[in-house]
Amino acid sequence: MAIIRGRDRRIGAGIFTASMADIVFLLIVFFVITYNVEVDRTQVVLPKTMIRHNIPKEAAFVSIDKAGVVRVSSGKEMSLPVGSDEEVQSFAANVVAANPYKEFVIKADKGVKYEAFDHVLDALKQAKVRVIYLLSEQKTVNDTQ
Amino acid sequence: MNIKKKNVESEIFTGSMADISFLLIIYFMLTSVMSATRGLDFELPKDSSQTPEIKQEDSIDVHIMANGALQVDGKQMSIDEVLPYIKKVLKQNPDKPVILRTDPNATYGDMVNVFDLLRQAPEKIGMPIKTISIPTQREIQNVWALFGVH
Repeated sequence: MAIIRGRDRRIGAGIFTASMADIVFLLIVFFVITYNVEVDRTQVVLPKTMIRHNIPKEAAFVSIDKAGVVRVSSGKEMSLPVGSDEEVQSFAANVVAANPYKEFVIKADKGVKYEAFDHVLDALKQAKVRVIYLLSEQKTVNDTQ
Repeated sequence: MNIKKKNVESEIFTGSMADISFLLIIYFMLTSVMSATRGLDFELPKDSSQTPEIKQEDSIDVHIMANGALQVDGKQMSIDEVLPYIKKVLKQNPDKPVILRTDPNATYGDMVNVFDLLRQAPEKIGMPIKTISIPTQREIQNVWALFGVH
Protein backbone atom coordinates (compact mmCIF):
# COMPACT_ATOMS: atom_id res chain seq x y z
CA MET A 1 0.00 0.00 0.00
CA ALA A 2 1.41 3.29 -0.98
CA ILE A 3 1.41 5.95 1.67
CA ILE A 4 2.13 9.44 0.55
CA ARG A 5 4.14 11.06 3.23
CA GLY A 6 4.81 14.71 3.77
CA ARG A 7 1.68 15.83 1.95
CA ASP A 8 -0.83 17.39 4.38
CA ARG A 9 -4.29 18.23 3.29
CA ARG A 10 -5.11 21.89 3.91
CA ILE A 11 -8.74 22.76 4.40
CA GLY A 12 -9.43 26.45 3.98
CA ALA A 13 -11.34 28.10 6.85
CA GLY A 14 -14.66 29.52 5.74
CA ILE A 15 -18.19 30.28 6.87
CA PHE A 16 -20.91 28.29 5.20
CA THR A 17 -23.20 30.85 3.61
CA ALA A 18 -25.37 28.77 1.35
CA SER A 19 -28.35 28.93 3.73
CA MET A 20 -28.03 32.68 4.27
CA ALA A 21 -30.33 33.51 1.36
CA ASP A 22 -33.04 31.21 2.78
CA ILE A 23 -32.78 32.80 6.23
CA VAL A 24 -32.88 36.29 4.78
CA PHE A 25 -35.97 35.47 2.72
CA LEU A 26 -37.68 33.96 5.75
CA LEU A 27 -36.97 37.14 7.69
CA ILE A 28 -38.32 39.28 4.86
CA VAL A 29 -41.51 37.20 4.66
CA PHE A 30 -41.90 37.53 8.47
CA PHE A 31 -41.53 41.31 8.34
CA VAL A 32 -43.87 41.65 5.35
CA ILE A 33 -46.58 39.65 7.13
CA THR A 34 -46.24 41.36 10.50
CA TYR A 35 -45.63 44.84 9.14
CA ASN A 36 -48.08 47.36 10.50
CA VAL A 37 -48.28 50.93 9.42
CA GLU A 38 -48.61 52.77 12.70
CA VAL A 39 -50.64 55.87 11.97
CA ASP A 40 -50.21 57.30 15.44
CA ARG A 41 -46.90 57.35 17.23
CA THR A 42 -47.94 59.35 20.26
CA GLN A 43 -45.96 58.16 23.28
CA VAL A 44 -48.45 57.10 25.93
CA VAL A 45 -48.53 54.72 28.88
CA LEU A 46 -51.52 52.54 28.08
CA PRO A 47 -53.80 51.15 30.79
CA LYS A 48 -53.69 47.40 31.31
CA THR A 49 -56.79 45.26 30.88
CA MET A 50 -57.70 41.58 31.00
CA ILE A 51 -60.34 41.87 28.27
CA ARG A 52 -58.74 42.72 24.93
CA HIS A 53 -60.12 42.40 21.43
CA ASN A 54 -58.33 42.81 18.13
CA ILE A 55 -58.63 46.25 16.67
CA PRO A 56 -59.73 46.24 13.02
CA LYS A 57 -57.13 47.34 10.50
CA GLU A 58 -57.44 50.93 9.33
CA ALA A 59 -59.64 51.94 12.28
CA ALA A 60 -59.67 55.67 12.93
CA PHE A 61 -57.46 56.84 15.78
CA VAL A 62 -57.90 59.49 18.43
CA SER A 63 -54.96 59.76 20.80
CA ILE A 64 -54.66 61.76 24.01
CA ASP A 65 -51.21 62.17 25.50
CA LYS A 66 -50.47 62.92 29.15
CA ALA A 67 -50.51 66.67 28.53
CA GLY A 68 -54.02 66.34 27.07
CA VAL A 69 -52.99 67.00 23.44
CA VAL A 70 -55.45 65.27 21.10
CA ARG A 71 -54.39 63.86 17.73
CA VAL A 72 -56.64 62.30 15.10
CA SER A 73 -56.14 60.00 12.14
CA SER A 74 -58.65 58.39 9.80
CA GLY A 75 -56.49 55.27 9.81
CA LYS A 76 -54.84 55.91 6.47
CA GLU A 77 -52.58 58.86 7.13
CA MET A 78 -50.41 59.92 10.05
CA SER A 79 -52.21 61.54 12.96
CA LEU A 80 -52.44 65.31 13.28
CA PRO A 81 -53.06 67.42 16.37
CA VAL A 82 -56.41 69.14 16.79
CA GLY A 83 -57.11 72.24 18.82
CA SER A 84 -60.66 71.81 20.09
CA ASP A 85 -63.41 69.29 20.80
CA GLU A 86 -65.37 70.71 17.86
CA GLU A 87 -62.52 69.75 15.54
CA VAL A 88 -62.59 66.19 16.92
CA GLN A 89 -66.33 66.06 16.33
CA SER A 90 -66.14 67.40 12.76
CA PHE A 91 -63.27 65.00 11.97
CA ALA A 92 -65.29 62.07 13.33
CA ALA A 93 -68.43 63.21 11.52
CA ASN A 94 -66.50 63.30 8.22
CA VAL A 95 -65.11 59.81 8.81
CA VAL A 96 -68.55 58.44 9.75
CA ALA A 97 -70.12 60.13 6.71
CA ALA A 98 -67.67 58.24 4.49
CA ASN A 99 -68.14 54.96 6.35
CA PRO A 100 -70.90 54.74 8.99
CA TYR A 101 -69.47 51.48 10.37
CA LYS A 102 -65.93 52.80 10.85
CA GLU A 103 -64.47 51.78 14.19
CA PHE A 104 -62.64 54.32 16.32
CA VAL A 105 -59.72 53.65 18.63
CA ILE A 106 -59.02 55.87 21.60
CA LYS A 107 -55.37 55.70 22.57
CA ALA A 108 -55.06 57.61 25.81
CA ASP A 109 -52.43 57.81 28.52
CA LYS A 110 -53.64 56.09 31.68
CA GLY A 111 -52.63 59.11 33.74
CA VAL A 112 -54.57 61.66 31.71
CA LYS A 113 -57.48 63.37 33.46
CA TYR A 114 -60.82 61.71 32.74
CA GLU A 115 -62.18 65.09 31.66
CA ALA A 116 -60.00 65.00 28.51
CA PHE A 117 -61.29 61.51 27.64
CA ASP A 118 -64.86 62.59 28.41
CA HIS A 119 -64.65 65.43 25.88
CA VAL A 120 -63.36 63.08 23.17
CA LEU A 121 -66.03 60.48 23.99
CA ASP A 122 -68.72 63.15 23.83
CA ALA A 123 -67.44 64.36 20.45
CA LEU A 124 -67.49 60.79 19.08
CA LYS A 125 -71.01 60.22 20.44
CA GLN A 126 -72.19 63.45 18.82
CA ALA A 127 -70.65 62.30 15.53
CA LYS A 128 -72.67 59.04 15.77
CA VAL A 129 -69.68 56.74 16.01
CA ARG A 130 -70.89 53.18 16.64
CA VAL A 131 -67.97 51.20 18.03
CA ILE A 132 -65.05 52.44 20.08
CA TYR A 133 -61.97 50.52 21.20
CA LEU A 134 -59.94 51.64 24.18
CA LEU A 135 -56.38 50.68 23.34
CA SER A 136 -54.76 48.76 26.18
CA GLU A 137 -51.96 46.44 27.11
CA GLN A 138 -52.37 42.96 28.53
CA LYS A 139 -52.89 42.81 32.26
CA THR A 140 -51.11 39.88 33.83
CA VAL A 141 -51.62 38.09 37.14
CA ASN A 142 -48.68 40.06 38.57
CA ASP A 143 -50.46 43.33 37.76
CA THR A 144 -53.51 42.36 39.78
CA GLN A 145 -51.52 41.49 42.89
CA MET B 1 -15.09 32.08 -44.32
CA ASN B 2 -16.12 30.11 -41.34
CA ILE B 3 -17.91 32.04 -38.64
CA LYS B 4 -17.86 30.48 -35.22
CA LYS B 5 -21.02 30.83 -33.25
CA LYS B 6 -20.50 31.73 -29.64
CA ASN B 7 -23.02 30.07 -27.37
CA VAL B 8 -23.87 32.52 -24.59
CA GLU B 9 -25.72 30.84 -21.74
CA SER B 10 -28.74 32.79 -20.53
CA GLU B 11 -28.83 33.33 -16.78
CA ILE B 12 -30.12 35.78 -14.24
CA PHE B 13 -27.46 37.63 -12.33
CA THR B 14 -28.11 37.03 -8.64
CA GLY B 15 -24.96 38.50 -7.19
CA SER B 16 -26.73 41.60 -5.83
CA MET B 17 -29.70 39.65 -4.40
CA ALA B 18 -28.12 39.32 -0.97
CA ASP B 19 -27.46 43.08 -0.80
CA ILE B 20 -31.04 43.89 -1.78
CA SER B 21 -32.41 41.38 0.73
CA PHE B 22 -30.33 42.87 3.53
CA LEU B 23 -31.44 46.37 2.62
CA LEU B 24 -35.08 45.21 2.75
CA ILE B 25 -34.54 43.61 6.15
CA ILE B 26 -32.93 46.75 7.53
CA TYR B 27 -35.82 48.84 6.15
CA PHE B 28 -38.47 46.60 7.77
CA MET B 29 -36.59 46.46 11.06
CA LEU B 30 -36.34 50.23 11.25
CA THR B 31 -39.90 51.02 10.20
CA SER B 32 -41.83 48.28 11.98
CA VAL B 33 -42.92 49.17 15.47
CA MET B 34 -44.12 46.74 18.09
CA SER B 35 -47.44 48.43 18.65
CA ALA B 36 -50.44 47.49 20.78
CA THR B 37 -53.24 46.33 18.50
CA ARG B 38 -55.82 45.24 21.02
CA GLY B 39 -58.18 46.92 23.39
CA LEU B 40 -61.47 47.06 25.24
CA ASP B 41 -64.41 47.54 22.92
CA PHE B 42 -67.76 49.09 23.57
CA GLU B 43 -70.72 49.95 21.41
CA LEU B 44 -72.33 53.34 21.62
CA PRO B 45 -76.09 53.84 21.54
CA LYS B 46 -77.30 54.09 17.96
CA ASP B 47 -78.97 57.44 18.47
CA SER B 48 -77.15 59.47 21.08
CA SER B 49 -79.33 62.53 20.49
CA GLN B 50 -81.99 60.84 22.58
CA THR B 51 -81.01 61.31 26.18
CA PRO B 52 -81.28 57.95 27.92
CA GLU B 53 -83.63 57.84 30.83
CA ILE B 54 -81.52 57.13 33.85
CA LYS B 55 -83.39 56.29 36.99
CA GLN B 56 -81.19 55.48 39.93
CA GLU B 57 -83.54 52.79 41.25
CA ASP B 58 -83.55 51.07 37.84
CA SER B 59 -79.79 50.85 37.53
CA ILE B 60 -76.60 50.14 39.40
CA ASP B 61 -74.67 53.36 39.78
CA VAL B 62 -70.90 52.92 39.89
CA HIS B 63 -69.21 56.21 40.64
CA ILE B 64 -65.45 56.68 40.47
CA MET B 65 -64.39 59.56 42.72
CA ALA B 66 -61.60 62.04 41.99
CA ASN B 67 -59.14 60.09 44.15
CA GLY B 68 -60.02 56.80 42.43
CA ALA B 69 -62.23 55.54 45.29
CA LEU B 70 -65.47 53.79 44.36
CA GLN B 71 -69.06 54.35 45.36
CA VAL B 72 -71.65 51.83 44.24
CA ASP B 73 -75.26 52.92 44.70
CA GLY B 74 -73.98 55.54 47.13
CA LYS B 75 -72.00 53.08 49.26
CA GLN B 76 -68.21 53.29 49.54
CA MET B 77 -66.64 50.04 48.29
CA SER B 78 -63.27 48.60 47.46
CA ILE B 79 -62.77 47.30 43.92
CA ASP B 80 -62.98 43.68 45.16
CA GLU B 81 -66.44 44.27 46.65
CA VAL B 82 -68.00 45.64 43.46
CA LEU B 83 -68.71 42.44 41.54
CA PRO B 84 -70.13 40.49 44.54
CA TYR B 85 -72.50 43.43 45.19
CA ILE B 86 -73.51 43.55 41.51
CA LYS B 87 -74.10 39.78 41.55
CA LYS B 88 -76.48 40.19 44.49
CA VAL B 89 -78.44 42.89 42.64
CA LEU B 90 -78.47 41.06 39.29
CA LYS B 91 -79.90 37.93 40.94
CA GLN B 92 -83.04 39.95 41.66
CA ASN B 93 -83.07 41.69 38.27
CA PRO B 94 -80.63 40.34 35.63
CA ASP B 95 -81.51 43.12 33.18
CA LYS B 96 -80.37 45.96 35.43
CA PRO B 97 -77.91 48.19 33.59
CA VAL B 98 -74.73 49.46 35.18
CA ILE B 99 -73.97 53.14 34.82
CA LEU B 100 -70.30 53.97 35.11
CA ARG B 101 -69.80 57.59 36.11
CA THR B 102 -66.34 59.02 36.54
CA ASP B 103 -65.34 62.25 38.23
CA PRO B 104 -63.66 64.59 35.71
CA ASN B 105 -60.63 64.84 38.03
CA ALA B 106 -60.13 61.06 38.24
CA THR B 107 -57.75 59.49 35.76
CA TYR B 108 -58.63 57.67 32.56
CA GLY B 109 -56.75 54.65 33.95
CA ASP B 110 -59.14 54.48 36.94
CA MET B 111 -62.13 54.28 34.59
CA VAL B 112 -60.57 51.63 32.33
CA ASN B 113 -59.68 49.57 35.41
CA VAL B 114 -63.29 49.49 36.61
CA PHE B 115 -64.74 49.05 33.11
CA ASP B 116 -62.43 46.07 32.57
CA LEU B 117 -63.61 44.60 35.88
CA LEU B 118 -67.28 44.99 34.91
CA ARG B 119 -66.59 43.31 31.55
CA GLN B 120 -65.12 40.33 33.41
CA ALA B 121 -68.44 39.69 35.21
CA PRO B 122 -69.32 36.50 33.23
CA GLU B 123 -66.05 34.84 34.30
CA LYS B 124 -65.89 36.23 37.84
CA ILE B 125 -69.51 36.07 39.04
CA GLY B 126 -71.04 33.80 36.39
CA MET B 127 -73.53 36.43 35.23
CA PRO B 128 -73.12 38.91 32.39
CA ILE B 129 -73.89 42.57 32.85
CA LYS B 130 -76.17 43.16 29.88
CA THR B 131 -75.68 46.90 29.64
CA ILE B 132 -72.75 48.99 30.79
CA SER B 133 -73.32 52.64 30.07
CA ILE B 134 -70.60 55.29 30.20
CA PRO B 135 -72.45 58.61 30.12
CA THR B 136 -70.52 61.76 29.34
CA GLN B 137 -70.66 64.84 31.57
CA ARG B 138 -72.95 66.50 29.03
CA GLU B 139 -75.42 63.59 29.20
CA ILE B 140 -75.31 63.57 33.01
CA GLN B 141 -75.97 67.32 33.09
CA ASN B 142 -78.88 66.85 30.66
CA VAL B 143 -80.40 64.27 32.99
CA TRP B 144 -79.96 66.53 36.01
CA ALA B 145 -81.55 69.33 34.01
CA LEU B 146 -84.57 67.08 33.38
CA PHE B 147 -84.99 66.81 37.15
CA GLY B 148 -84.48 70.54 37.57
CA VAL B 149 -81.06 70.24 39.23
CA HIS B 150 -78.39 72.66 37.96
